Amino acid sequence: MDKVIIELLARRAGLDKALAEFPEDVTAAAEQASGSVAKMKAPSDPRAEPWPPMRVGTGL
Amino acid sequence: MSDLHWMTVAEAARAIAARELSPVELMNALLERISRLDPKLNVFIRLDGAAAMEAARAAEAEIVSGRRREPLHGVPVGIKDIIDVAGLPTTCHSKILIDNIASADAVCVSRLRAAGAIVLGKLSTHEFAIGGPSFDLPWAPARNPWNPDHHPGGSSSGSGSGLAAGLFPMALGSDTGGSVRNPASACGIVGLKPTYGLVSRRGVFPLSFTLDHVGPMTRTVGDNVLLLDVVAGHDPLDPGSVAAPSGHYASGLDCGVRGLRIGFVRHFHEEDMPANAEVMAALEHVARTLQTLGAEIRDVRLPTLGEFAAVNRVILQSEAWAIHGQWLRERPGEYGQLARRRLMAGAFMSAGDYVQAGRRRLEMISAVEGALRDVDILLCASAMDPPSRIDSPEEVERTYPRQARTPFNVTGHPAVAMMSGLSSGGLPLSVQFVGRNFAEATLFQAAREWERAAGTDNMHPPVL
Repeated sequence: MDKVIIELLARRAGLDKALAEFPEDVTAAAEQASGSVAKMKAPSDPRAEPWPPMRVGTGL
Repeated sequence: MSDLHWMTVAEAARAIAARELSPVELMNALLERISRLDPKLNVFIRLDGAAAMEAARAAEAEIVSGRRREPLHGVPVGIKDIIDVAGLPTTCHSKILIDNIASADAVCVSRLRAAGAIVLGKLSTHEFAIGGPSFDLPWAPARNPWNPDHHPGGSSSGSGSGLAAGLFPMALGSDTGGSVRNPASACGIVGLKPTYGLVSRRGVFPLSFTLDHVGPMTRTVGDNVLLLDVVAGHDPLDPGSVAAPSGHYASGLDCGVRGLRIGFVRHFHEEDMPANAEVMAALEHVARTLQTLGAEIRDVRLPTLGEFAAVNRVILQSEAWAIHGQWLRERPGEYGQLARRRLMAGAFMSAGDYVQAGRRRLEMISAVEGALRDVDILLCASAMDPPSRIDSPEEVERTYPRQARTPFNVTGHPAVAMMSGLSSGGLPLSVQFVGRNFAEATLFQAAREWERAAGTDNMHPPVL
């Protein structure tokens, strides 16, 4: 992931303090995320629903 | 009575009920052993010895007066320190929650107390059940009693280490990506991730709402049955809890495996993440032994471990970010580096990524369900390597993701990990059995037969 994009996303997430104090950790976190997302296959069926599904309920 | 520290839960409960063993005598023996070994193993974050001894005296008085609580009266238990015990801190092994005193017991703890168990204290974990082993936290990481230079697995590290060291006969852990089964594998004990929703998570600090499970950890399969029997059950105030029938987990314990159809997921350890040669040989030995005892073994294919792991991470880190985002924005320096890196990853995932992972998750559930229509249980690897050295971040980093446990957090199926043998270096190797939803009894049936055939219930670390 591009360094500028990482910084933009980090600031958007409110991680300014982490960016200032732990820039390498922010970069490592961004790389972990992009690695996991890249390895995930999209569902083969465009109508595929996510799990867990919405279910009607009465609350707790 | 000698070797009280190696007594099983069943033996201790029976001896206490028969008044052949005093809960005070058992507690004294364990506290003495803890004082001797815990400085080397770092199992406890908070040992509550005085309260535990007081509870042992109260249990003794109750038993003498004929007031009995079943089935764990007077038996000590260790609790992973992300699970609330009233009046004690739930630190999650983190500076962030160092002063977080629990106001009430978690549901699983109150069930244990109602059954007569005595809480010994709070056990070491990876920080927030995700960041470890770490040396930059207020408490040192737990170590493996088979060799303290090695990692005991995690995140329920203290639970696994303490059981293998004979510091207590039962413990609770939690499992979001394998955190009960990893220490069970590394420490040579028995760890169950029950079916999602079988054990209440209320009062347990969350890591990932749709992946979190509370699981029993013990030295024997029979003890795991006893503990699950106590902690399982519907909790209407846990949104994930399922009103499924619980109990009868011992029904298959002495039935053997004749006629049981076992699907062997070989591609996990042969193709997806080729395992260490000793791990592979031990898995083949488990399969051959069960086949000799009458089980039918056939090969089964599931999605690859890499796919399962990616879906697990996207869901876990997205949900964990929702929990930790505020602290990471305001107090990033109060986390250890490993937890900080892993928990911040969710900030870089989109809502679309999270939904996509959920959609892929349903396909994975269908794949495992499909496999379990043709067989009764699955047999597969747990860890692909013997436990790594704890002081080598590179070795921990290399071996930690090499595992086949996350698939069943993604799908919710019950899975038990236990010892398959010992490596040439004297460290535990492991095997995993996976079952149909709410069919823990069948899992225990196979696990007990392997335990009986291999004698793993009598294998303890030699130097202790």
